[in-house]
Amino acid sequence: MTAVRTSRRTRRGIRTLRALPTWVIVVLSAVLVLPPIAWVLSTALKRDADTVAYPPRWIPDPLVLDQFAGLLTNTNVRFFLNSLVLATGSILLALVICVPAAYVATRFATRRMETLMTVILVLSMVPGVVVFIALYSMFVKTALMNTYPLLIVVYTAMISGQTILFLRNFIENIPLEIEEAAAIDGCTRRQILMKIVLPLIRPGIAAIAIFIFVFVWNDYLVGTVLATTEDMKTVQNGIVRYITTGFGNFWGLFSAFVIVAFAPVVAIFAAFQRWFIAGMTSGGVKG
Amino acid sequence: MSSLTTAPALSPSVPAVRSRRRDLGVWLYTIPVCAIFLVVFVAPLAWTAWTAMHETTYYQLGAFSGADSFVSLLSDADLPKQLGITLAFSLGALVIALPAGLLTALVLNDIKRFKRTVRSLFLLPWLMSQATVGTIWLWFLNPNFGPATAFTTSIGLGKTDVFSDPVIALVAVTLITAWWSYPQAMLLFLGALQTIPSELRESLRVDGGGIWHGFVNVTLPYIRNAIVSVVIVLLMLYVQMVTIILVTTRGGPLEGTTTLSMRVFNQTFLDFDLSGASATALLLFAVNIVLTLVAIRFRRKESL
Repeated sequence: MTAVRTSRRTRRGIRTLRALPTWVIVVLSAVLVLPPIAWVLSTALKRDADTVAYPPRWIPDPLVLDQFAGLLTNTNVRFFLNSLVLATGSILLALVICVPAAYVATRFATRRMETLMTVILVLSMVPGVVVFIALYSMFVKTALMNTYPLLIVVYTAMISGQTILFLRNFIENIPLEIEEAAAIDGCTRRQILMKIVLPLIRPGIAAIAIFIFVFVWNDYLVGTVLATTEDMKTVQNGIVRYITTGFGNFWGLFSAFVIVAFAPVVAIFAAFQRWFIAGMTSGGVKG
Repeated sequence: MSSLTTAPALSPSVPAVRSRRRDLGVWLYTIPVCAIFLVVFVAPLAWTAWTAMHETTYYQLGAFSGADSFVSLLSDADLPKQLGITLAFSLGALVIALPAGLLTALVLNDIKRFKRTVRSLFLLPWLMSQATVGTIWLWFLNPNFGPATAFTTSIGLGKTDVFSDPVIALVAVTLITAWWSYPQAMLLFLGALQTIPSELRESLRVDGGGIWHGFVNVTLPYIRNAIVSVVIVLLMLYVQMVTIILVTTRGGPLEGTTTLSMRVFNQTFLDFDLSGASATALLLFAVNIVLTLVAIRFRRKESL
């Protein structure tokens, strides 16, 4: 009896010992990851005077929500609306152009088609800064500058390579027999795509839509280079604007803005963790 | 079963009918993507090459200047320094993000309890935008108030004035970039770790192999290819990194954080030297092509 108990105890001891390095890493990464985030959260809940108090205090006292109320300005609302429009537009356009391309690339994979897909993949890895600057000088004098369509097209192009790659994996998993049966029944290629393939890859479309949303929402560079007027800037530009043009003590408002801008991403991540990660890992090269 | 017997009878005729139309009809489906890629990638690249071969004043193209801007790029005394900064930044971030990504992936793969919480913790930096990451570190590290300065002052190091010294600023920007990007390495490693058969790990446990022993003999052979693709994915990310540097240092102080990408950006928007910026952009593009070709090599092998 006692022998059994001690052996069980030591086994449990060994297991705890084995898990120790794991939890050391978890604690260590918490120490490295959390402080700046916690500090922004804490700043967002302080009164203006308290944000620059020294020595710093982690717990806001008193805890106020004034900073969030101060965010509701016309420019800020406009930033959020812009990002929302751009993200929605990019999701729609990317799906409209990528689903057909992914379908034929999977089902009619001739050598020429593979070459085209490789070219698309290679092009979508061209550094953003290279193409944005050329696009800027190409479009700066045209009426397209500072319009939603131009920005949406740019975002869509940047994300298309990955979207096609991701959707192909889903289309490959559809049994070919279903499509063949439909073809025998007289469905055209377009009907097969719209009525059979599209409903079957719905989870893939959801995952990539989530990914595109976060990609556009989190982008800073396109909004900086290709949206030159204040009313076309995006959420991320709004964040940085506090740092570059802010005067006086703007840290409370800045922190509140960061929290509000980060909230949708956190909400999406919490709700669709699995899809979110699937989209993120689909050959993600673009930052 | 009936479908099985009829299928062979039909299959020679159905594809034969379709294949003749297939050649043209199929390509229609790729036209939208091709059109958008022409506008957003092909035309700008051609435009960049064209601009690099001309003189420019502000955004106006001037006389044809041939290879002049390439000559002045390659003879620029700043270029070796900037290449060095790009290399230090990219390799520095890689050296931190790669082990961090692998370590966290191993932990996640091994952990049973609180898996979702730990995964969220590990992924947190990457969920944030680059602009957010840059600015919150700016705020956290500011020299006047805040926890970082309080901490360094209390241990006698003085204020955390990291962004005023070129070398320290480069280190800081590199660390921030690694901090933001390691979860990407982690996710790729996690995918590779899941290909290891569980029997293999089980038998190792029965045989009583140590953690290090198991890592070298079981895990490492399975993730060798993944390591290569993570290296390339991260290097591409770092070579073209603009946002984090832009929001923290703008390439300063004293151009101490001006990587090749930042040079392109600053030449365009600070110096208004479009011709020079285009030449630099083409150099950056060439670096990127090399990395992409290697990436595609491994993508085929890995089917990543």
